[in-house]
Amino acid sequence: MTRIVHFAILLASAALAAWAILALGAPGFSLLPAFAPPELRLDFAVTSSALPFLALIALVVPGVALWGLERGGASDGAKLALFVVTMIGVFLAQSVAAFFVCWEAMALISALLIAAHHERRDVRRALLSYLIVSQTGAFCILAALALLAAAAGSTQFAAIAHAAPALPAQTRTVAMAFALVGFGSKAGLVPLHFWLPRAHPVAPANASALLSGVMLNVAVYGLIVFAFALAAPLPPAWGFVILGTGLVSAVTGALFAAVDTDFKKLLAFSSIEHLGIIVATLGLAVAGYAAGFYLLTALALMALLMHAIVHGVFKALLFLGAGTVAEAAGRTSLEQLGGLGRALPFTTPLVLIGCMAAAALPPASGFASEWLVFRSLTLGASGMPLPLHGAMIASIAMLALAGGLAAIAFVKLFGIAFLGVPRSAHPVVPERRSAPVAGLAWLATITLAIGLFPASAMDRLQDVVRALTIGVSPDPRLVTFLPGFFSAPPGITLAFLPFAGAIVAMLLARSAGVRAVPTWTCGSPVTPRAQYTATAFSKPLRRIFSFVLMPDRQRIVEGGGSAWFPARIRYAVRTRDVVDEAARRFAALVQRFARRARIVQAGRLRVYLVYAVVAVLVLLVAAR
Amino acid sequence: MNALPQALLIVLLAPLAHGLMVTIRARLQGRPGPSPLQPYADLRKLWSKEALSSGHGAWLPAVPGVVLGVAVTFVFLLPPLDPVQSFAIDAVGLALLLALSRFALVLAAIDTRSSFSAMAASREMTFASLTEAPLIVALVAGPGVLAALALLLVMLAETARIPVDNSETHYELTMVHEGLVLEYSGWQLAMVQAAAYVRQASFVVLAALLLPGAGAFAYAWIATILVALPLIERAFAKMRLFDVPQLFASATMLALASVGLRLLGHPIW
Repeated sequence: MTRIVHFAILLASAALAAWAILALGAPGFSLLPAFAPPELRLDFAVTSSALPFLALIALVVPGVALWGLERGGASDGAKLALFVVTMIGVFLAQSVAAFFVCWEAMALISALLIAAHHERRDVRRALLSYLIVSQTGAFCILAALALLAAAAGSTQFAAIAHAAPALPAQTRTVAMAFALVGFGSKAGLVPLHFWLPRAHPVAPANASALLSGVMLNVAVYGLIVFAFALAAPLPPAWGFVILGTGLVSAVTGALFAAVDTDFKKLLAFSSIEHLGIIVATLGLAVAGYAAGFYLLTALALMALLMHAIVHGVFKALLFLGAGTVAEAAGRTSLEQLGGLGRALPFTTPLVLIGCMAAAALPPASGFASEWLVFRSLTLGASGMPLPLHGAMIASIAMLALAGGLAAIAFVKLFGIAFLGVPRSAHPVVPERRSAPVAGLAWLATITLAIGLFPASAMDRLQDVVRALTIGVSPDPRLVTFLPGFFSAPPGITLAFLPFAGAIVAMLLARSAGVRAVPTWTCGSPVTPRAQYTATAFSKPLRRIFSFVLMPDRQRIVEGGGSAWFPARIRYAVRTRDVVDEAARRFAALVQRFARRARIVQAGRLRVYLVYAVVAVLVLLVAAR
Repeated sequence: MNALPQALLIVLLAPLAHGLMVTIRARLQGRPGPSPLQPYADLRKLWSKEALSSGHGAWLPAVPGVVLGVAVTFVFLLPPLDPVQSFAIDAVGLALLLALSRFALVLAAIDTRSSFSAMAASREMTFASLTEAPLIVALVAGPGVLAALALLLVMLAETARIPVDNSETHYELTMVHEGLVLEYSGWQLAMVQAAAYVRQASFVVLAALLLPGAGAFAYAWIATILVALPLIERAFAKMRLFDVPQLFASATMLALASVGLRLLGHPIW
């Protein structure tokens, strides 16, 4: 019964998102808390820039609900549904107070979701770092919003956006800087990413799916709103800053995903990569807008909205798949998995579709959206400022590298976990045809559908893009861009012959027969331990990129009397990264400072009374 | 030439191009070498032989079909050699298409449980992650000497040639592409080999189109490349595995330099 409630509540939250989409253009509603000044009025309305994100919620949440149908009680469902509702609130918020209240509620509930297994020490540590980053980010966002609201003389988003072009450039620049730090920390942009690979994987799978699939995109939405409404128009330099931040995150995230050996952590790193791609494309859109290349802006916005939706769906699919694996095999370390394909005959092909999308392979959806991203980067035109054109070409190289590294990550993830034979003796519970499979199938179907028919998704996004780009200064060149101007990604054309070839080869194998033989391993017995491991698979990368990964390996030879015939060899390898090391040192510094500062917290009432008196005196003097 | 006849011609002549390069290399090494038509004979022999499989997945037999399908799609993506047109190719589509066949081959290699296959798979993926950037940038740059050089360097990796790889040897610890297809045999190996020939021929045509001049020049460039590749193999030794990334870094720099010089107004590069 509680399961049904869990399911129904979550589905209702998805329905709310769908209903909001249909309510586009309807008058919004306001809440004014009693005894509050009008600046704190909470305004909500559906704007077209929120549509893609609401659609993402409506697509992802039913899959998450289905997956959770056979587990979890009503309270879990309520928590997840509340989380979804607060995210919808952020998308609908039209005033500073509404945005901030929903944002904080979202952050709080996401912390509850991450804390589900709070009895584990690593979970508590992850939660702490998440809370610190999340609250610092929220403070930055509040500062950015307050700055703009004060300068514009209104707390309504529409009024701020209207006044923004006339505001001094410094105000907009400072506000955007705060916004980039605030939203960037939520999106896991490097160097504020360190909490993400710790916090996202420790949550239950359905929570992880919503955190990585939807919540990261809330940050994207915030950045879009700032860049194209609240702080628009931004100077060209901002475009390059955002582009650069995105590119660094994309390559770093992909690199760490490629060398990681934990199923869920790898997915979290991949989220950093994809958010990096999305943010880089946003930077391109901003730079193009500042330089007056509106078609470039339009295509870049289209690409990034597509990629946000596509990434949200396939990442939810992969995290739910990881949840299925964790439950069936009792572990998520790739070093101990293997051969899951036989125990999980339904989940395996669905996860494969997710992996193909994450590696941007045709005809999955990731191909379509990344193709659009690259297409916008190759839209260099004559008369374009040289720095912009050069930056676009350099970005192609960076994103191509990120894409190649992501392919390693996902070929490793799928190959090591699902193919071959199990690496540990731990039994895997075979799966049945069930609700979780249906949840995965729903998300996989969307992933394939967007990949095969991207044009229909692009048609729906076109109005959003137009509204975003002409929101500030109407330009006739934008209004005239025709439906179908942008060619659609050719996923279906490219994948046709390979698919046909696969069918023919399967038929041939059936008619001619393929004889099963043991694997040739130079005469030694074929044991599961002889299979390549995830660590071994990424060894060349660790060596090539040792200047970032700083690999650290230990080889301990024990016993046996002779160095040549040891009884046991233990091998451990660990990667750190430059940013993580810096963050760790900074954290140690803060802790040392906090320990010193503890002296003022004496715990005696008299001391605190003295503090209060001193504070009042200081205030009186200051306000004199 | 229309798209379809050109594609058919490239597919049919691809084994001959490979055979020619093998013969030329043998002559350069002072051996008579096999006939240039030998690849056709190889394919026919393999086609009639039984296929063996050591993996577990029920989908494994599909992999050679995917690989061959990708190679043939590559041929159709090539810009026409004749008549002369402006160079246009979907660079990103091509790079991700090649990634699809690599994805399939590597998964099949991991499924065999053989460490040799998986080791080769790991190396293939590592190299591919580093060649994607120069490949896309060179093709976005369009015809130019530096872009063509960048593509040639990428091609050395994509077609398993010295100094990146050596398809003539079966020494397990150095194999990259050969290790990946080690477990294929019979008609399945024939499909994988045919795909390798077609892909190689497509790269040759693509590099020729990137070199300056067009029309009849392109055919001359194709002939030049068919001689140049064996010459490179004759002149250099295989590089150490961890020196290869420098080669790809150079390719990326060449491709970026090609675009940069073009932006500054030097179209020939």
